[in-house]
Amino acid sequence: MSDPVELRDVVKTYDLGGGIRVDALRGIDLTIKRGEFISIMGPSGCGKTTLLNIIGGLDSPTDGQVIIDGINIARMGEGELARIRREKIGFVFQFFNLVPLLTALENVQIPMIFTGRLPNAEIKKRAIELLHLVGLEHRLHHRPAQMSGGEQQRVAIARALANEPSIILADEPTGNVDQETGWKIVRLIKGLNETLGQTCIIVTHDPAIAQVSERILYMIDGRIISEPPRLTINPSSNILADERRQMLLAELRWLEASIKSLERRKTKLSQESYAEAKIGYEKQLERLKKAIQESYEKRR
Amino acid sequence: MSNILTVRKMFRTVRFAFTMARRSITRRKFRSALTILGIIIGISAVVSLMTLGYGMRYQVETTLNEMLGAGIVISSSSYGIDIPEYVQYFVSQVPGVNNSIPIVTSLVYISNQPYTVVGIDPVQASEVYQVTLEDGRGLVLGENDAVVLDSTIASDLGVKVNDVVTFSTQTGGVGKIFKVVGIMRPFIGFGQFMNIGVFITLDAAQDFFDKEGYVSSILIRLTDSSQGEQVEATLKQMFPSASIITQEEIMSNINQIMNTMNGVLLGLASISLMVGALGIMNTVMMSVHERRREIGMLKAVGGERWHVLFIFLSEALLISLIGGIFGCIFGLSGVYIIQWFVKILGLNITVPLLISPQILGLGMIAALAVGTIAGFYPSWKAANVRPMEALRYE
Repeated sequence: MSDPVELRDVVKTYDLGGGIRVDALRGIDLTIKRGEFISIMGPSGCGKTTLLNIIGGLDSPTDGQVIIDGINIARMGEGELARIRREKIGFVFQFFNLVPLLTALENVQIPMIFTGRLPNAEIKKRAIELLHLVGLEHRLHHRPAQMSGGEQQRVAIARALANEPSIILADEPTGNVDQETGWKIVRLIKGLNETLGQTCIIVTHDPAIAQVSERILYMIDGRIISEPPRLTINPSSNILADERRQMLLAELRWLEASIKSLERRKTKLSQESYAEAKIGYEKQLERLKKAIQESYEKRR
Repeated sequence: MSNILTVRKMFRTVRFAFTMARRSITRRKFRSALTILGIIIGISAVVSLMTLGYGMRYQVETTLNEMLGAGIVISSSSYGIDIPEYVQYFVSQVPGVNNSIPIVTSLVYISNQPYTVVGIDPVQASEVYQVTLEDGRGLVLGENDAVVLDSTIASDLGVKVNDVVTFSTQTGGVGKIFKVVGIMRPFIGFGQFMNIGVFITLDAAQDFFDKEGYVSSILIRLTDSSQGEQVEATLKQMFPSASIITQEEIMSNINQIMNTMNGVLLGLASISLMVGALGIMNTVMMSVHERRREIGMLKAVGGERWHVLFIFLSEALLISLIGGIFGCIFGLSGVYIIQWFVKILGLNITVPLLISPQILGLGMIAALAVGTIAGFYPSWKAANVRPMEALRYE
């Protein structure tokens, strides 16, 4: 069986008009194994969302190959890409993106309606099963406006699973919920990954997701810098050392922001989860500062 | 197998699209109601005006059939009173001619108002004109100073039975006195347009216009209406310089007039329908704009262009369907309103209300066509939204 995701020298350049070009991806080589749980991290604007969109067939690369389940989708037309998305990919978004007019049950049915393979009764039955799976059996006939952010995101996860895709792509799935709910969602995705065996690729700023990931890809300026593994990087290469430091500094800024946000929300959280998060952050902070220190020393 | 799958897929999407459309319409109640109102106004205008036109055509055709008992009318090409009366004898000998009636029609002034007077043999008058008396009696052969008026003209002139009126050939000219012996129900529809409503005997007319032995037209009744063309051809050979008009020709002329009138009315109605169409376009456009993220999501989970197109098109279709149904209902009520309005204005026109399933069907088709056309452009825009850009939208 082929690997579910294989990217070869993928380049994406946006032409903003007026001769302004932005290189969003500058040559990505990446192989993801079946059932892997991967986080993509990096500062905003580094190209992580673009990468996710290209893997999911929402966008086409300027150059290179994107091989999903052994099929190169890089040069596919709109209709074919829609079919790939429908059958192989499940999307989870930061803003949930449920249809506000439809109930949870109806929202989960959408991908199956588009596929049209199952009879109506089966579609409904499967949608109910999926909502059970994400723990929303009591919310079947609620509209998105009647549900909390966490519940909406769980509906979105159920929807992503509807057509039994081989790959789940999530773009900051915890970015729009509070930390506690975030933990629950992370545990849900991870649990589904373990029981159903789907390959999960998650773009995130959330250390909670990073913690449960089997592999973390750090991206900076359109490149993946921890792929291939760090050991093979020539330690004497100044360019890479620079990039690594940039990445570390970006992560530091993000971590400091996260700590500030945690302090702000201190009263809303339970004592335990606040303490747990705080200790986690402090450990990370210490490690980061040390790494940054080292990178400067190496240069000298 | 793949065909069955495609059909099933289509069916699913159609059902799903209409569910979404229904919810979208009920969610924005006020906006949807206004849009639907636009279509209702347009369709009810179309339906009421077409029903009105249909009723009028029916009316004109039946009165024409009543009035034009004559299959063929021979007149002189100059439309004066200059056909020798003996011509009638030759006409009556033409095979296929059942009866031929000479008449004089010309303009007279009564109290300085112009009217068309018809001079006809009272015995034969009933063969071609269906006269219903309201008061008094009909003309009698040999009566030289009697006149039958229709009730509208009588009331215009302010005369009753046994009163007298003065005929003259020009305004202010010296006249001749006629006694009103009968008042008849006015011809409706066509007769009214032609202003026929003053009858005297043929002899009296010839005498009054000083045209002894001459008539202006000969009305011909056929033994069999299918022989019209043959008789017409024979008459043309016999009287090459005369103007020969058949009933079919008159009918087709009238039909042409009616068609033109209907066309004008429909044109007016379609303007309001067009405004309704703009309303639909605007509503769907706004819906597309508000739901951009949703479109992006639908595409992300595997929706193709036609899925998205249909979801928005069905909103336009549902609006126009509701508008069409209510438009048909209000359109029929509109005919009552027009009838009432005509009565208030004191016009002596009765328009029958004939409910025609064809017109209602046409109204529905017009509504759905307008919905499809108006909804297509915004739906097409929705279908072409690029998912990535729509999802980035905030």
